Amino acid sequence: MISKTFTKEIRELFRDGRIRLAFFIVIILLGVAVWISAKQYKTVNEQYEIGKTAERAIWDNQGEKNPHSAAHYGTYAFKPKYPLSLLDQGVDKYAGTSIFLEAHKRNEAQFSAAADQTGLARFGDLTPDFILLFIIPLLIILLGYNSFTKEREMGTLTLLKSQGISGWKWMLGKWSALFLPIWIITTALFLIAGLVLNSLQDFGVFKWTSLLTMYLVYMGYYIVFINIILFISSITKKSGISLVIGLSIWIVACLAAPKAANNIAESRYPYPSRQVFASNVLKDKKEGLDGHNPWSKEAKLLEEQVLREYGVDSLHQLPFNFDGYRMQKGEEHEAEVYFKHYNYLKDQYSKQSEVYRGLAAISPYLPTRFLSMSIAHTDYATHWDFADAAEAYRIATQKFLNDNFAENSEYGEWSYRADSSTWKSLPAFDYSPPELSSILSRNTSNIALLGLWLAVSFGLLLFTTKTI
Amino acid sequence: MLSYNFKYELKLLVRSRWIQLLSVVLLLLFGFAIYNGVQKVDKRNRDIAAAHAEVKQDDEMMLKLLDSVERGMEVSALSWTIPNNPMAVGNYHPRVAAMEPAPMAFIATGQADLFTHYVKPTVSGDDFALNFTEMTSPVQLLFGSFDMAFVIVYLLPLLIIAFSYNILSAEKESGSLRLLAAQPIRIHNWVLQKLGLRFFWLLLLVAGALIILFSSFGINIFEQTTVFFGLLGLIVAYMLFWFSLSFLINLWMGSSAKNAVALIGLWVVFVLLVPSVLNQLSTTLYPMPSRTFMINEMRSLKAEVTKKQDEVLDNYLRDHPEYALNDTTLRRGFYHRYMASKELIKEELSPVVIAYEEQLQKQQAWVGKLKWISPAIIAQESMNQLAGTSTRDYENYRKQVVSFAGTWRDHFMPFLYNNREFTQKDYPDLPAFQFERNTFISFGLVGLLLGLSLGLFCLGFLVSTRFLKDGVIGIT
Repeated sequence: MISKTFTKEIRELFRDGRIRLAFFIVIILLGVAVWISAKQYKTVNEQYEIGKTAERAIWDNQGEKNPHSAAHYGTYAFKPKYPLSLLDQGVDKYAGTSIFLEAHKRNEAQFSAAADQTGLARFGDLTPDFILLFIIPLLIILLGYNSFTKEREMGTLTLLKSQGISGWKWMLGKWSALFLPIWIITTALFLIAGLVLNSLQDFGVFKWTSLLTMYLVYMGYYIVFINIILFISSITKKSGISLVIGLSIWIVACLAAPKAANNIAESRYPYPSRQVFASNVLKDKKEGLDGHNPWSKEAKLLEEQVLREYGVDSLHQLPFNFDGYRMQKGEEHEAEVYFKHYNYLKDQYSKQSEVYRGLAAISPYLPTRFLSMSIAHTDYATHWDFADAAEAYRIATQKFLNDNFAENSEYGEWSYRADSSTWKSLPAFDYSPPELSSILSRNTSNIALLGLWLAVSFGLLLFTTKTI
Repeated sequence: MLSYNFKYELKLLVRSRWIQLLSVVLLLLFGFAIYNGVQKVDKRNRDIAAAHAEVKQDDEMMLKLLDSVERGMEVSALSWTIPNNPMAVGNYHPRVAAMEPAPMAFIATGQADLFTHYVKPTVSGDDFALNFTEMTSPVQLLFGSFDMAFVIVYLLPLLIIAFSYNILSAEKESGSLRLLAAQPIRIHNWVLQKLGLRFFWLLLLVAGALIILFSSFGINIFEQTTVFFGLLGLIVAYMLFWFSLSFLINLWMGSSAKNAVALIGLWVVFVLLVPSVLNQLSTTLYPMPSRTFMINEMRSLKAEVTKKQDEVLDNYLRDHPEYALNDTTLRRGFYHRYMASKELIKEELSPVVIAYEEQLQKQQAWVGKLKWISPAIIAQESMNQLAGTSTRDYENYRKQVVSFAGTWRDHFMPFLYNNREFTQKDYPDLPAFQFERNTFISFGLVGLLLGLSLGLFCLGFLVSTRFLKDGVIGIT
């Protein structure tokens, strides 16, 4: 019975001109989207490589210079694109790609792609994630909305009942008939993406396990939609009504809920504006040691403390340049201030995430979206991770420069110039994104939510098979 | 017949609870959207007001400090931050260059969540390094905001589709079409009347909901008549487009479900696909030059200029002989060299910086040429314009800020190169920023949309008459 229902449904689907058309359109769109993304991925990473090398050359060839001048001159950290961004662009478009690393200041990542585009960019891009997250669920609804209602409308329901059909077998047949085309599209897409990524040897490290995990996430998401639409189709009387309900669920889950979650999250846990953030940081900075100001109270305190520690009575007798030492201490204080304020932002965001998770109750889209972005290294957490790594590198760089200043010059010797070969001995900035296992452990709640959706939707389906 | 239709249609809509349901849904959707919009605008106003207050407070401190310095008292501030030094004023006491929200800014978030609404340009800051993006979580930007524009552009068409997809097919499916065929009215006239009435009721509900909500949020529509009626006109045109589509699809008369599928397909095409394809094409045709390369270029230029600072300063002073004349001390310090090389860097980099603006304009022009393909784009853009949150508004703001940053810098240059101290008397002359809004509100877009909808409608009418003659809408 299962296989008969299955073959009948599949045959019916492929006979339907509209379905063939819809299928065809989705495949064309996917092809175009993958092609565009692959091209973009290549150019961005080529630019990244060139930019990184050029910036390092500029840093290396500064010539003789005071280390603190070099610190102010600073350097840049660039963010590359990661292989799976080919499938999910995530928030990449909205996050900056380069961070200026200088003395005394932690800068935000600058130059997001969205700021350089027209307002149209806000409608979204034709990328594989757009099709995976929005269009394929819609396709599921179109394929499945009349699965059961048509039996009612064409009067075949009575016939079927007279055959003594068992509800769950019938359902399983219908379910697998709906699952097969979706499974084919998704598997083909991920297989092609995997092969494309495997052939692009030059950039990033591509792992099949990540791709497979992402594939499983999307299959879970589609199964939820298949369950929901079959459930709706089995409890409604008319195809039209079933379709309208299915679509409403799609709209709420994919369009309305994320936006509503946004507004709720933002009004409850707002970010400070850039200017407010900057002035808060400035206020806190002023309360501590300023490396450039030897006359402040904090500087005097530090002076006394160091003199006592070394048992000498003038700064000139110290075995190192106290100016450099103070610079370093000031830098450490500033780093702490930034740490505190950026942690506040992170706190706000993690509270916002709770709102997103709360609204996942009405939207399987939300956990899927977050999971997929995380696995693709295009989520906000990866961006934070990158920014934190850049900040750690900035702090290390400052220490390297201040130590050089303190060790190689006398107190008050601001005319000191470090050798032109000094800069090369600073290790280059290197960042690798979190591993899959740590991503998954960070996303346990999203995995649980998606799992819950799967369980509940299967439960609903099972429940209805008894009442059809 | 129209009066019968009117009467029965109303009865039908009320009894099937469509009117009640729609009213509640519209009130809820618009209410939530307006609430969100108003909150965002409030935050924006608060931020700007706080920034102004902060500057005011700061200025008072500065004047006190100046007063003490002028009286020859000792002050406990860092030497380079004492405001008798003009560069200290220019760097540590910047003005707020704010973009105040337009009166109806709440109707569309537009680019407002992406860009910041006030910056404080300083004398030694770089124009191209001014960060105009706002500190937001990128997730917020990705999902977008639940604003009125979203309700109108995305959801209203879906309500229209749900409200009208089965006008004719339902009659056929319930068997009442035969009865109808016995009436002295042509089918397409009948569909037209029925759709017209539904259009009328929906419009009435939308307008009613908007008026109720606007007044309950304390927004006076009589003060903003142009914008309000512009918005209403836009809604009418946009609704007309979807009703015309529905009219066409209804006359094709498949089953109800087929109609719904066709209409949803069109919705996906117009609202989701066309905009994203156009955007993708515009960025592919007119790609932005790499920002990474811009940084590289700026860095090597800076490195080069820093190496020959003295030479740069000499050249600068040769170009500005007035500074050499008025200054008797001829003292040259860090800032003299720094500002001179900054000027040079700015000049050298300007083609690179302009390239971005030009490319953005090209993208915009290209999208402008093709936006009629999707009424959703027209509707969204018009609403952004009405709200003063379109890309163009922010471009305008950026330009004004950059020009103000120039004014601010130029204001201090005579002080610096003449080695003149900044005094209390100079305070009132400090330039202030006033944002000038784009005065154009183009109703041309609404006209375009209206034209499109009417064209579609006429097409539907013509085609239906043809079909009728050919007996396609025959009743079996």
